Amino acid sequence: MYKYMFKQFLRTNTCKLGLFLVLILGVISISIGKQFLKGQERIGSHVTEKQLEHIQRNVELHSEDIGLLLYYLKFAVISEVSPLAALSIGQKDVNPSVQSVSILTLEGQKYDSDLVNPTKLLFGNLDLSFILLYVFPLLIIAFTFSLKSEEEETGTWRLVRIMSKSRLQFLLAKLSVRVILLLLAMCILFVLAGLILSIPFGMAFLAFFVTGLLYILFWFSLSFWIISLKRNSSFNALALLSIWLTLVVLLPATINNFVVTKYPVPEAFTTNIKQRDGYHQKWDTNKRETMEKFYARYPQFESYGYPPEEGFNWLWYYAMQYLGDEESSKESEMMRTKILQREQMSRKWGQFIPSIHTQLAFNDLANTSLSNHMYYLQYLNDFHEQTRLYFYPKIFSNVNGKEVDWSQFTPGYFSLSSKVNFRQIFLPLIILILIFFGLSLLNMRRESRVY
Amino acid sequence: MINIQQAHKAFKGKPAVQNLTLQVEQGEILGLLGANGAGKSTTINMLLGFLKPDSGTISVLEKDINQSSKELRKHIGYIPENVNLYPYLSGLENLDYFCRLSGLKYTKSELQEFLNICGLPSEDHQQKVAEYSKGMRQKVGIAIAYAKKAKVYLLDEPASGLDPRASNELSVLLKKLASEGATILMASHDIFRVREVCHRIGILRKGELVKELRSEEVSANELEKIYLEYIQN
Repeated sequence: MYKYMFKQFLRTNTCKLGLFLVLILGVISISIGKQFLKGQERIGSHVTEKQLEHIQRNVELHSEDIGLLLYYLKFAVISEVSPLAALSIGQKDVNPSVQSVSILTLEGQKYDSDLVNPTKLLFGNLDLSFILLYVFPLLIIAFTFSLKSEEEETGTWRLVRIMSKSRLQFLLAKLSVRVILLLLAMCILFVLAGLILSIPFGMAFLAFFVTGLLYILFWFSLSFWIISLKRNSSFNALALLSIWLTLVVLLPATINNFVVTKYPVPEAFTTNIKQRDGYHQKWDTNKRETMEKFYARYPQFESYGYPPEEGFNWLWYYAMQYLGDEESSKESEMMRTKILQREQMSRKWGQFIPSIHTQLAFNDLANTSLSNHMYYLQYLNDFHEQTRLYFYPKIFSNVNGKEVDWSQFTPGYFSLSSKVNFRQIFLPLIILILIFFGLSLLNMRRESRVY
Repeated sequence: MINIQQAHKAFKGKPAVQNLTLQVEQGEILGLLGANGAGKSTTINMLLGFLKPDSGTISVLEKDINQSSKELRKHIGYIPENVNLYPYLSGLENLDYFCRLSGLKYTKSELQEFLNICGLPSEDHQQKVAEYSKGMRQKVGIAIAYAKKAKVYLLDEPASGLDPRASNELSVLLKKLASEGATILMASHDIFRVREVCHRIGILRKGELVKELRSEEVSANELEKIYLEYIQN
């Protein structure tokens, strides 16, 4: 029976065209991911090479004045990109993977990012997660909307009713043919992705695959529920397309709008103003007052004393720079908290909206989520502080630049290896699949009781 | 084997079948004659369990169709007026597919034999049904019903679209099935075919069985006269 169901379905133009399109789009998305990874690798190796040159050049020029030397020197922190990021680029296209910072005020430097063509950002990324989230559900709708109604509309249903042992089993068999074909297409894409992108077969990759699989099964269960309502093909198609539009476009946009309104981030602007004011006002403030604030935070440097009020001094200059950050730290922290609150709120809603949940899960697994970037910024803070604290005594005692071991200043690397929380990722999708599948079975059983 | 007692069915208040009582015994072929809208298809649909009668009882093989329709369908072969098949499969594949749906597995040569018996030439067996004529589809439909080896056959204009030769082959087949013990109820407009094949004939008018007679009691011409008389009245 299955043999004929496969034959019958594979011979239809809908099936041929649908599978061809999804495979072609999938391959394109993988090659886009490959380009993204290559770009990230290129930037990483370029930064390592250039940082060494940059330090050598500046040491040659300013070794006698280490304060000036450190004014120019920048140190890169690279957020390591997992190969899975090629499948779900997530926030990586707007949030940089490399930040080069000097030991001056940090806040302003955090947002000095790569130049990205805004038109490219507008188009978004056609990565594999996009294909799974947007294209696969459309294909599922195209493959299933007339699962039963086409039998009724073409007149084969009467013979099926007489000949088949169970109508429910017949429909489930028909559905499973479509499930198998689409899952096969998904498997082919994952195998290709694994080979082309050299993704190691680990827990994250497995979780990524299972999440995609569950998302597809969710759409099948939803479609089966609509089919079980026993309406005609045009009703089914219209209902399923409306649901697709709602779940994939309308609700995510509405929730995004809600979250942005609920947690406004005016701090994004005030942080910069505070930091700039915090620093600039120090030019007109007594040096002693500035130094007292600096020593209150770093008493270990108090032995360097207070510079004269007249004239320029690197000790005072770097204290001013630091205080710019300190005076904007409250706003900076508030901004961070609100951004994380936005993310948390999205996750909460996402538990009920599979498209959001799946996208967030993909980004988490690929380390391309917003929270991943926030961890990276936190790491950048720590890196900045460690670098400052290493150089402060050298600047304050005006060590010759050539005496510093610069070879240790290769770019810092940030990588986040979080444990995959299978329950948190899979459970919402499994529950929704069971609900819709259960409702479909109830409808089908009710129907078989009433003819 | 088929027993309808005082069955009544109306659609939106308009009766399609009224107080219908009829029986068909094992090995017997009953032909139902009637104009369009006389209630032939409604009767068959009620026997198939596709429609529930508003009142009255319908039983097949001594079992109430309303209570055991699912179980009874295993024993019912059905040929509709328009046999609709899967266009992307061949006639042979359609036959095998429907047989497998019923849990029947035949060899390729057995399936070909069924199609040959039902008048579909061997060279057409592998052709896709999309390229079939109505008559060819009808022959596959007959083969599907025949292959089921059912105890009861319900035929709704089975010869529709068949050429005279195929129609004659169908008559032979139905007689053979009846002689093997099958119970057959056939609805048709074709007076001559009904008289030739059926043991008994019933005439339906506006959902009522207005006349019942044995086919050996009348000639084809007499039957036509009786039929027209009842229909015109």
